[in-house]
Order: sequence, then C-alpha cells, then structure tokens
Amino acid sequence: MNRKLTTLTILAFAAFAALALSAACKKKAPTTAQEARPPVSVRPSTGETNVPPPPSPGARKDVEAEVLSMDIDALNKKGYLSDAFFDYDQADLREDARSALATDAQWLKKYSTVQVLVEGHCDERGTAAYNLALGDRRANAVKEYLASLGVEGSRLRTVSYGKERPFCSEGSESCWQQNRRGHFVITSK
Amino acid sequence: MNARRRTTCLALALVAAAALSSRPLAAQAPPPTPRPAEDIQIVIKRGTERRLAVAVPALFAPGTAALQAKVADPFTATLRSDLEYAGAFALADPAHYPSGTRDPSAPEAADRWLGTGAEVLVETRGEVAGDRVSVEARVWDLKSRKLILGRRYTGGATYVDRIAHTLANDLVKYFTGKPGEFLSTILFVTEQTGTKEIAAMDFDGRNVRQLTAHRSIAINPSGAAGKIAYTSYVRLFPQIWTMGMDGGEKKEISTGVDLNASPSLSPDGTQIAFAGSAKGNTDIYSIGVNGGSLRRLTTSRALEAAPAWAPTGRQIIYTSDLTGTPQIYVMDAEGAGSRRVTFAGNWNDEASWSPDGARIAFACRNEGDFNICVMDFASGQTVQATSEGSNGHPSWSPDGEKIVYSSRRGGSTQIYTMDANGQNKRQLTQGGNHSQPVWLP
Repeated sequence: MNRKLTTLTILAFAAFAALALSAACKKKAPTTAQEARPPVSVRPSTGETNVPPPPSPGARKDVEAEVLSMDIDALNKKGYLSDAFFDYDQADLREDARSALATDAQWLKKYSTVQVLVEGHCDERGTAAYNLALGDRRANAVKEYLASLGVEGSRLRTVSYGKERPFCSEGSESCWQQNRRGHFVITSK
Repeated sequence: MNARRRTTCLALALVAAAALSSRPLAAQAPPPTPRPAEDIQIVIKRGTERRLAVAVPALFAPGTAALQAKVADPFTATLRSDLEYAGAFALADPAHYPSGTRDPSAPEAADRWLGTGAEVLVETRGEVAGDRVSVEARVWDLKSRKLILGRRYTGGATYVDRIAHTLANDLVKYFTGKPGEFLSTILFVTEQTGTKEIAAMDFDGRNVRQLTAHRSIAINPSGAAGKIAYTSYVRLFPQIWTMGMDGGEKKEISTGVDLNASPSLSPDGTQIAFAGSAKGNTDIYSIGVNGGSLRRLTTSRALEAAPAWAPTGRQIIYTSDLTGTPQIYVMDAEGAGSRRVTFAGNWNDEASWSPDGARIAFACRNEGDFNICVMDFASGQTVQATSEGSNGHPSWSPDGEKIVYSSRRGGSTQIYTMDANGQNKRQLTQGGNHSQPVWLP
C-alpha cells in the first residue's frame, strides 16, 4: 500500500517533470536560435498580429470590418505589419525577417484591399549614395518575398530612404540595427 | 612614425607636389612609381610652394567715417582674406606698411615697400557716388617699380565684397594663369529648417541662401552650365528635379525608373546621369535634361551608384559593388568600356573628377572611418588627404587647387575645404548638419 503510493508519487512526479522539461525545451529552443544570430540586438516590435482566429464566419467579418474601419494613421499605429530587419551592408532576408514577413503575408492576404509602401532604410555607416541603392535593394527583397508568399505585387510599392530618414540617430549598434530595415506603411485600405 | 613610413611619406609628398603643382618644383620631383600594393597613404603635412609676398594697404576712400566702415573696411578685409586664402600669395604684415606713401614709382618709396617684405603692391582707391562704388586698382612690381596691372571696378555700394572678390580673381588669374574662385559657389544640403533642403553659399561659407523649400527630402545637388539638378522626395517617391542657380524655374523630370538618386549634370548641361532602379537592381542611367531619351548605361546585377562626368563629358565615373565591395569604375558616356579604377581599401565611393581631368577625389575606407583620397588618374597613385572624422562627398574647386568635402565629427556633419594635398583645412559651416557639397564656378 505504502509502496504503491510511492510508485504513484514517483510516476506523477516523473510525468510532471517530463512535461515541465518539454515546456522548457520548447521555450528554450527559439530563444537560443535567436541569440545565436549575431547582431540581432534589437527585436522588431511585432504588434503580435492582434487578430485572433474568429469563431465563426460572421464574427470574422466583424473583426475585419473593425480593423478596416480605422483611419490609415490609426491602422499604421497599431503595428499589424512587422518590419524586416537586416544585417550590416546586407539585403538578404534573415530568418527572423522571413518569419515576420510570413505573418505579414497572412495578414495582407486576409485584408486583401490594403495597399502597402515598403520603405528601405540603412544605418549611417557608408556613403549616402550607396545607402540609397542598398535601401532600394532591401525594400525590393521584402516585396519579392511577400510576393513569393502569395501577396499580389501590385499592392506593394517600394521606396528607398537610404540613411536619409533614420529611426534612431545614435552611433551605437542597437541604434544602427533599428535603422537597417524594410518598414511598412499602409497607404490605403 | 617609423623611418620607412617617413620615407614613403616624403616620396608621396614629392609625387603629390608634382601632380598638384605646375610650379618649378614639379620638374624636380621623381616620376610616379608603379602602383604599390597598398596605395592609400599618409596625409601630407608641409607645402613646398613659394608664395608671392604682396602688400595690400587699405582702400583709400576719402570721406566720412561711415563710408570707411561701410565700404573701405569690408573691401580691404575681403581682399586681404581672399589673397591669403588663394595659396599663391603671402600677405606682408600691414603693421609694417609705410604711412602716407602709396605711389612706389620713386626709388625711395619702392624701397620702403620692399622693406615690408613685399614684392608686389596692390594699391586701391575708391569713390562713392550715390549708391555706386568705383574702385581703381593698381598693381606694382616693387623691384622694377613698374605698374603691371591697372583696373577699374564699379558696382553697387551694398556689394563691395563682390568688387573685392573680382579684383582678387583678377590677381590670381594674372599671377597664376588659373581662374580665381572668389566668386564661386558651393551647393550643399542643409538641415537648418528641420528637413533636408538644397542651399548655396560663397566659396568661404558666407552668404548662405536656401534654394529649395520642399519640406521633404531634397538631396544630391549637382550643377553645370547654370543649372542645378537634385533629388527630391516631395512627391513621396524620389524624382530628379532641375532649377536655376538662384532656385528659380523648378522642374520635375519623370524618368520612368525608381530611386532617381545622385543626378549628375553633364558639363554642357544637356544630360543627367543618375542611379536608377528597376526591381531592386540599381544601375547608372542617363536622361536628357528636359526628360526623354532615357538610356541604361550599366547592365550588371550589382549595385551601381554615384555617377560623375569627366570634364570632357566623354566619360563617367561611378561606384559598383560588382566584386563584393564598392569600388570606383569608369566607362564612356554611352556605357561602353567599363573598367575598375580603385583597388585599395574595402570601400571607395562618391568620386569627383578634377577640372583638368587628371585626378579624381573620392571617399575611401579601409578600416574605420571614411577619408578623402586623391588619385592621379593615369598612374593610380593615391594620397589620403584627411585623417580626422568620417569624411565624404569631395568636390573640386574650379581651379582644381582645393577640395570641398563633408566631415562628421562628434555627431554633427559640417562642410570643410582643403588644398588638394590635404593642407589648409577650413570649416565653412557651423551648427546643425551640412552635407553633400558641390563646388561650382
């Protein structure tokens, strides 16, 4: 009897431990992957894609109507679309940028009337002339990736600001990372 | 600095002097050596050119004290400052000028002027009639006691500075054979109003006037043949615009491609070369100054940017990252025959051709900050002319003696000038940010 209880306790404990462990591992894995990527010291604010899956088609329409009833400024402030961040002097999409853009693509497919401007931005290092071209590459890399995920290219326009309109103006890596991005601006809905 | 480096420095100084000077020393300098493996080098510290000693007594303008303060004093100050700046002259100390003696045709008078160390006397007399000023200038060679130049200038009393600049230009032209730059203009980007706008100033940083008020982003000014081209974001997407030297007659050019950055006017003002983009691939394009006849001049998948015309209008230098790092290339104006020009360092960009076409200046970087490098185009011999701050966007003075550039130090970007060998650096702008200078005749 006593022994049976002990076995049960051990089993319960083992099950709990296994659960806890697996939860910890699940949490741990992505964090490590992110930390392993060198200069990603600043994470984009994702805005969490604040559109929960609707329980019924009727409710879904209501949520869509609610999102699209906002004026453009409010819509942009909500941050439904996550920016794509780049490494220094690169226009290749990092893994974190691809996953942000995958979520953006879902949102854009859901709100299929929304038109978007993709701004290419660069940090202050490098010449103004080169950075204008690099920003153009970045904006187009974002556009092409979204198009590959099924977002109509005609809904996406690109513009490069090079290093002319930075988000942050300190001479530090965390600030430079803020400035190396493809930034979304919703232009019509 | 070790001995070998010092030797290299000296050798480069001599080579640079040969490249930069038309004076006798050039003939004694060794011929350019073949391009060394590491051809970006040291800043040159000392000049070796002989300066002509001139005495410039104050403008003699009989009249009231007010006249003295409004006309004579500013005229004298401007003329002296110009001649000191010119590089070809040394100003004999006014404290030692003989009083009352002006005409040096008599031997005793000439001796007194020679006693100041001067070889040449620039004597000026002014008269004011209404709102007009006239200045008579006589230039004497003191050893021979001969009048070598006599000129009369008239103009509005409110711009005596311009009269002094004109005389200074004539003196430079007479003694060096090169055009003076005292009436030249520097275009630049100012952020004084909170947005980036195109502005112009005199060669010495005075007389700033804002030429655009797009309240957006106006950048990349270029000028030739009395016109200015630039890039503006006023229509949200960047477009090339042109305007007159005073900012009038603004016109937008529709190119049909994206980006429209770094427009460069051809020397005759008929064409604009620029960095255009199609689907994220930037290339060098050209278009007529009134729009139309768009041509794509480069066709690589690499990034091409920052075109600049040769003074002949037959070639264009530009930046390409074809080999992995941004380097400077040259091609003919139709886009054929491109070849790489810079090989040292991991970033060379924003090149500008000297007025005689013999040299290019560009932003160069190996490690750390950007500097200004000057390359003899034929030999590839390169001298680094700056060592402080992060420097860029060089442009040559009309006489090819000086370079204007931007330098970022302590969080602010300002415009500087220097001799093409790195000497005599001068800060022209203060406060805020000022960038992308372009020097026009």
